[in-house]
Amino acid sequence: MKSILFLENPILRRELFSRLRSRKTFLAILSVAILSSLLVLLRWPSDATIDLINQGSLQVFRPVAFTLATALMMLIPSFPATALVSERRRGTLALLLNSPTTPLQIYLGKFAGNVFLALVIFSVSLPALAACYAMGGISLVDHIGPLLLVLFGMAVQYTAVGLWVSALVNSTDASLRWTYAAVLALAVLSIGPTVFVGKLSGTRSLIAHWTTAISPISALQSITGSQAQASEIGISARWPEFLAVSCVITVILAVITLMRLDPRLLERARPTGKVVGRTIPKKPFEGWVRRVSYLVDPQRTKGSIPWWLNPVMVKEFRTRKFGRLHWLIRLVAVSGIFSLLLTVVAATGTVSWGVERIAPTMVLLQVALLLLLGPCLGANLIASEVESGGWDLLRASPISPLRILIGKLMSTIWTLLLMLLATLPGYLVMGYIQPAMSGQVGNVVISLVVAVFMVTTMSACISAFCRTTAVATATSYAVLLSLFAGTLLIWVARGKPFGPLLVERALLLNPAAGALAEMKTPGFESYRLTPESWYIGATISFVCLTILTLRIWRMTRPN
Amino acid sequence: MHDRVVETKCLTKRYGDFVALDALSIHVDRGQILGFIGPNGAGKTTAIKILVGLSRPTSGEATITGVNCSENASKIKRLVGYMPDRFGSYDNMRVHEYLDFFGAIFGMHRRDRRKRIAAVMELTDTTYMQDKFVESLSHGMQQRVGIARTLLHNPEVLILDEPANGLDPKARIDMRQLLLRLASEGKTLIVTSHILPELARICDTVAIVGGGKVRAFGPLDEVMRSLCPLRSYEVQLANPEQLDRAAEILGKTLHASEPISLSRPERVLRFPTVRSELELSQLLQGLVAENIFVSQFREVTSDLEDAFLSIAAEDGPSKTTNQVDANAGLVVH
Repeated sequence: MKSILFLENPILRRELFSRLRSRKTFLAILSVAILSSLLVLLRWPSDATIDLINQGSLQVFRPVAFTLATALMMLIPSFPATALVSERRRGTLALLLNSPTTPLQIYLGKFAGNVFLALVIFSVSLPALAACYAMGGISLVDHIGPLLLVLFGMAVQYTAVGLWVSALVNSTDASLRWTYAAVLALAVLSIGPTVFVGKLSGTRSLIAHWTTAISPISALQSITGSQAQASEIGISARWPEFLAVSCVITVILAVITLMRLDPRLLERARPTGKVVGRTIPKKPFEGWVRRVSYLVDPQRTKGSIPWWLNPVMVKEFRTRKFGRLHWLIRLVAVSGIFSLLLTVVAATGTVSWGVERIAPTMVLLQVALLLLLGPCLGANLIASEVESGGWDLLRASPISPLRILIGKLMSTIWTLLLMLLATLPGYLVMGYIQPAMSGQVGNVVISLVVAVFMVTTMSACISAFCRTTAVATATSYAVLLSLFAGTLLIWVARGKPFGPLLVERALLLNPAAGALAEMKTPGFESYRLTPESWYIGATISFVCLTILTLRIWRMTRPN
Repeated sequence: MHDRVVETKCLTKRYGDFVALDALSIHVDRGQILGFIGPNGAGKTTAIKILVGLSRPTSGEATITGVNCSENASKIKRLVGYMPDRFGSYDNMRVHEYLDFFGAIFGMHRRDRRKRIAAVMELTDTTYMQDKFVESLSHGMQQRVGIARTLLHNPEVLILDEPANGLDPKARIDMRQLLLRLASEGKTLIVTSHILPELARICDTVAIVGGGKVRAFGPLDEVMRSLCPLRSYEVQLANPEQLDRAAEILGKTLHASEPISLSRPERVLRFPTVRSELELSQLLQGLVAENIFVSQFREVTSDLEDAFLSIAAEDGPSKTTNQVDANAGLVVH
């Protein structure tokens, strides 16, 4: 038992030591320490009086708590997400499973290693929390203790999610992508249905209540004294409920992962591929079913690349699992249906929301989708080519660096633009309902297009400087989430200590904020961000593109 | 008159103080297969990268059909088909699509590309796998697809880095036959390999490099003669009890530089020598005259492994023992 749970577990020792030695961990610790200290320093009252009654100390504590939770969401999943899949790809999982080490020891070693790492990372924020405590008005029992428990609950839950995804998928970048998507779904989308549908009654209300308890947002709001705002949008779960749900999710995912953690995990047959009509005779009924369900038959023979298409772009689409036409059609269709659904909800008045409320929701959903897909698409562009050995083959061919660059960028830009285009019908209906909004809709679309270019060029630029796809993906997510979510965090802390000028300048970096301001989203009405945010976004994209061009030119030169 | 296709003159590459390639001078004629041999870190890949235009030499010159490899890299890329030691696979891509992509980046017209893909797939016997996903192929299949990829743009020179690495015996034989067929069609090949008996069977010329320098270069027979001047002979006796007496008789004639070793289970005496055929026949005659029942008297032919090991031994044990052992291990397995 001792060897299963504690430091005698060889897997735990190895995980912990190798993680603590890595530069990634050092940077994570450093960034959390700097962020938490900086927030306290900025919000520290200039008169330095003890505040026992009023909300001054909570105004310092609140952004620190939300920043720590956001940092945890961004940093922690990347470690467990690569834990099992990278072992399997390196072949070391087979060695572990063939040793006397039990699957439970392997799982607990990896699990505890990641949770300990989270504790180490968050231990550096303790001085900041102590400073909040020293201000008065913050208690250990009501604020700091529950916050640390919620952060611990998040670390445990997201580690279990990461390990579960890592046991399911075949590549490290896919594991990172799906883990971040799952964490985002658990943390943000879980409160979505309640927010959209509004207050319910009876059993449905109970279900909605426990669904919102999956997300730490409600728990954090109850700890930081923002419960009234949370109740306004229909979420009322408190931190003990969040901890209970976290425990249940963690146990369920741990059992599922443990069930998979045996030699059968290594027995995956590689898909050999089959093309109906050439090597396999076509069955009329099967072909008909596939055409109906996919629209474009995924098993049909692909033609040669035509002269007018960039071969690198075509290759990127074909090698991406979701880049094939039948998947793109689905993605575009889902985006289109969702945007129309939202507009119909507004038009029919099922909820007491008008176009003014639906439009910002659509913008936020589009940006969320953009931030979910963009970094992994962009991060794959160069790093995966270098990792697979394909880069040397491209270098040994006469194709020019410019054509490689254009092909790679266009493959990502087209995908993201298609997704945005799919939501245009929703905006058109909105314009029809409120003709005065047509100009605003146009500005929103421009802001989103700028966001597409920023996401693509920044993640591609990061990709060109990374040797592995996993590192490129994690770095891209971290940088882009910092830019898009970080500036919104500054907006959350508007008034104190951040003055309106600083908040506006920070929001200028975020094209999504420009779109929200155009739609007169509550809290954004006073900001005039366009067209300045477009120019800034375009400049950032241009700088990234220049760096990327130089980097690709250098990478294709004889070394 | 030789039709010289590949030529390097005093090719040198330095990384700071480290000399990766030291005045490498070799040449290959049209239709020939050059075996490029050396321990790990000997400079083989550096030389290959310069030849395919992926690296620039510090000094010296490399040319392919007279085109300078470092000054005209774009032209070189059309002249050379390069297969690195890593396959360079893409996910979710079928073999046909994979070859089509490489045809397209070499600027081949769509119609020509289709014909050429069909031709190279037939040549490399990969037609049956055209609809399989590239990443699902076995290593041997991937190597064949790799050769098909290098042949797509019909290059004059093929540079193959470890093409037989990780192949099973059947796949190795297929690969050997394919390379010989390509050479017979007028392609010039440079092949590196750690499986030396494989190279010995297909190469016209060998270049053995060690520590960045050429240790031996030329036709295979000449290299063998220059590196292994001592020929090894075996005398097998019908009666094992006569082994000591036979050794005594031979010892009277042979010098100290020609030490005799005995293998009693095999009933064999072995000795290295530089003696002529006439002198060796006199030795045999001497044994028979002393009533020694000789069942076999034969030369043990030296192979490329002996040549390689003699080169590696020259580098000194401190520097190359591990490398040589590692390579020897590969050969044995």
